[in-house]
Amino acid sequence: MKKTAMPFCLVVLLVCTLPFPAFAEGKIIGKVKGLRGLVSILRDGKTKPAFPNDRIYQSDILLTGSDGAVGILLEDNTLISMGPISRVSMDKYTFAPATNEYAMRLNMGHGTFVYQSGLLGKLAPHAVELNTPVGRISMLKEETNFKARFAEHAQ
Amino acid sequence: MNWNSVMVLAAVILIAGCGSKENFVVLSPANDGSVGSLQVATDKGSEILSEDGKAIFIDDLNSVPSPQLPINRADTQLIFQDALRVHPLMPESFILYFHINSNDLTDESKKIIVNILAAIKKRESKDISVIGHTDRTGSDEYNRKLSLERAQLVFNILSSEKVTSEDMTIIYHGEGNPLVPTADNMAEPRNRRVEVMVR
Repeated sequence: MKKTAMPFCLVVLLVCTLPFPAFAEGKIIGKVKGLRGLVSILRDGKTKPAFPNDRIYQSDILLTGSDGAVGILLEDNTLISMGPISRVSMDKYTFAPATNEYAMRLNMGHGTFVYQSGLLGKLAPHAVELNTPVGRISMLKEETNFKARFAEHAQ
Repeated sequence: MNWNSVMVLAAVILIAGCGSKENFVVLSPANDGSVGSLQVATDKGSEILSEDGKAIFIDDLNSVPSPQLPINRADTQLIFQDALRVHPLMPESFILYFHINSNDLTDESKKIIVNILAAIKKRESKDISVIGHTDRTGSDEYNRKLSLERAQLVFNILSSEKVTSEDMTIIYHGEGNPLVPTADNMAEPRNRRVEVMVR
């Protein structure tokens, strides 16, 4: 028993000292900038309230309450904001100009959305995939900006 | 049933027949009034949206999207006003230039500091990158050090103007990331710079 105790302690110590971004799912893709009312982030099955300057990770889901609204800034300068009772899931995001790798897949749920293209929409509009409850939006031109509303019951 | 109620009934049927207008996509014009172009695809078909002031309406995934139809601008503004109120400002980048082989800002660039401070204030930004660069005169090692000194100088200027140090990140590239590509040992004033990115 004494023999195994020491390595176990070491492992615990190692795991505890690992910085958070070392985890694969911990890819930072943007930040919360503007915020009003109640906004939540659903991450790893847990919901927590969002605040200005909070980091957004790949796979996060953002939700706004009936008085909520949130504006986010992604790494490539894409700006997305949404009004009350809205939902977006940040399914996939890669912005690596140095290696020419671009990907963005967002799942817009119900709600009101304002989408402003950043560098991804300029350098690789074809790499932007936007799923909505009523269909798929794809960019045909660089720097395409739009607004969209999707009703709650549409599926 | 009088004629009026027949008309009302016909109008109701006509509107209902057009399907719901709850789901739609509309383009936002850029500052110069230009718009992009996108495609909306359901399981039954797709349509292209390419004109300002028009929208594509979609009933559901199993319907064909509408062609682009005119939409009332004031109504649209109202629908998106809550989102627009929190929509972030696009990040802004400033470039400050230096005299050759030194960490002295050019007089022109000293005047830009006030614009940087305004951009930080407007965004209440806690996300400011100060990125140092040099031209290709001198050794790699020397230039790495010089680019750090230049970034540090801009960092200090911003600090003295009450920008919180924790909100700024210093990055330095030496001669490795020129704005204007040149051969080695070429003097190029446009490469002797510090970029300040306010997000």
